[in-house]
Amino acid sequence: MVLDGIAKTALLGVEMGMTLVLVTVGLTLIFGMMDVINFAHGSLYMLGAYFGLTVVSVTGNWWAALLIAPLLVGLLGGLIEYFSIRPLYGRNPLYHILLTFGFAIMLHGLVTEIWGGQVQNISTPALLDGSVDLVLFSYPLFRLFLLGVSIAVTAALWLAIRQSDFGIVMRASAHDSEMVNALGTDVKRVFTAVFVLGSVLAGLAGVLLGTSQAVDPGMAASIIIQAFAIVVIGGLGSYRGAVVGAFIVGMLNAFGPTFAPQFTDALLYLLMAAVLLVKPAGLFGNPEAT
Amino acid sequence: MSVKDIVGRHFSAHAETDVLSGRVRLGLFVAGVVAVLFAPVAQMIHPFWMDLVTHMFIFALFALSLDFVFGYAGLLSFGHAAMFGAGGYAAALLIQNVTSSALLVLPAAVIIGAIVAAIIGWLSVSARGIYFAMLTLAFAQLFYTIAFNDIPAMLLGVDAVTNGDNGLVGITSLTLFGMDTGSLMSYYYLALVILAGMLALVTRLANSPFGRVLQAIRENEDRVAFIGYNVDRYKIVAFTISGAMAGLAGGLWVPFNSTATTSMLHWTTSGELIVMTLLGGMGTLWGPIAGAFLVVFLEDSLSAIGNWEIYLGIVYIVIVIFAPRGLAGIFQTVRSNPHPKVLLSRVRSALVTYREKVFS
Repeated sequence: MVLDGIAKTALLGVEMGMTLVLVTVGLTLIFGMMDVINFAHGSLYMLGAYFGLTVVSVTGNWWAALLIAPLLVGLLGGLIEYFSIRPLYGRNPLYHILLTFGFAIMLHGLVTEIWGGQVQNISTPALLDGSVDLVLFSYPLFRLFLLGVSIAVTAALWLAIRQSDFGIVMRASAHDSEMVNALGTDVKRVFTAVFVLGSVLAGLAGVLLGTSQAVDPGMAASIIIQAFAIVVIGGLGSYRGAVVGAFIVGMLNAFGPTFAPQFTDALLYLLMAAVLLVKPAGLFGNPEAT
Repeated sequence: MSVKDIVGRHFSAHAETDVLSGRVRLGLFVAGVVAVLFAPVAQMIHPFWMDLVTHMFIFALFALSLDFVFGYAGLLSFGHAAMFGAGGYAAALLIQNVTSSALLVLPAAVIIGAIVAAIIGWLSVSARGIYFAMLTLAFAQLFYTIAFNDIPAMLLGVDAVTNGDNGLVGITSLTLFGMDTGSLMSYYYLALVILAGMLALVTRLANSPFGRVLQAIRENEDRVAFIGYNVDRYKIVAFTISGAMAGLAGGLWVPFNSTATTSMLHWTTSGELIVMTLLGGMGTLWGPIAGAFLVVFLEDSLSAIGNWEIYLGIVYIVIVIFAPRGLAGIFQTVRSNPHPKVLLSRVRSALVTYREKVFS
């Protein structure tokens, strides 16, 4: 009896951690390449959920939402990077925090204005409804799907960063963008591409988590701080760090409520502060260790 | 070059770089007189205006506290909500359980704010730039979750201390020399006097040798350290002073609002404060005050025509991109070349630079 409880919680932790990766990867890649702390990343995630909500209500097809919403978020992210973050390269990186915080405020207002402040939900597609019997316990099918998609995306991205030409340019730009520029690659375009990629992933996470959990204007603020904690714990700019950090926080979120409900959030921030104090660059905070 | 020349140059340079030059001081004095005269007028038109302006004063004080560390020492604190909330909760608990005397409650809020800031500062100052911002954010959120889950009550074994998500409600107003400050008018003047006093104090500090060192730290931290200053200690002291002021702002806010809620401690409060400071123009002291006035005003007036955050966000984004020195910077530019043609060419060149940066 105790065993299946623990096993179920552990699976929940893995699932929460892996879905968080979708959000944190964008955040950490963008920081690693451009030194930009993107406060609007949570808002992009939120927009993914709301776009998904609208696409589902218009087309009635969840799979269409899964495809269209992240692309729309990617487009929007690209526009934000192009027209507002670009002009600030070369300024103190603190200005990027300040700028993207402005977007977070604006998008929160916009979402509340368009979709209202109430809690909504994207309905689960019929194909993924129901739950699966996993010997010890049963688990919702959709959440297993969520886990599978997250793992697949994380692994594919890892391979792409390691192996593909674009991945090599990305890592090189993170290491020394001036040199990459001098060698004939337009680094600014690489930056835009990475920002779009991060936005698409955030949008994807928005549709997925908007289906398994809830959609409301507060979701941006609640995820962005968690995502910050994760990338700080893992090491700003490190891909591996974002994955490991998300895993740790996922486990904390899963087991915390059982063992110390009042301290779960406090533990997250304590962990973040402790890592910053002991190892300011984070667990994997080496820019080359992508 | 004679010694006299050097000394003379030193002094003239000093006068030019003084925080709040003569004209600005005159402007602030006039604004102060207007503020003093405003209350009876507002009383006649509609007391609502006095309420709004008191709200502005308190947040102006809060913004002033951030400007002292952010504008002067260059420390972007994303955790000022911690001190604001700590001061506020301290005031609420004192008023509920001990006394409502302003002479006890407000100093207590100052002390609590200073203690919280000293701890956060001591732990955070060795981190720089973004990492400092992240650390202060983490600590402030820690305070938020402590209040939200009412961990003090659990540790002390009592029913409620911070009362969790509900917060502390029904806080009575402060008393001063036996007088009740419950009337809007008296609270208005109390807030105004404190704001003016704090502005004078911060101006003194900013122009003192201590303030000069802070500015030097902002410009080049390593160089200041090489000269032999203990940079970390300066930063901690500056952060503590700032936190004391933020605590005072919290202590003023709670009796005015008659509640102490966890939202005071939430990171969005710190973020809103940064918006105020940057909109107004950091490092100018009067700019953040103006920024706080503007944000509180927009928050109030725009909520009638829709969601105010959209407009505030847009204004703020445009300011960050085109006028990073905020309203104060725009004001200075206009004052130095009041000719419309010159100003137009300034605007045009800013747009050209923007286009080049975006489309290059």
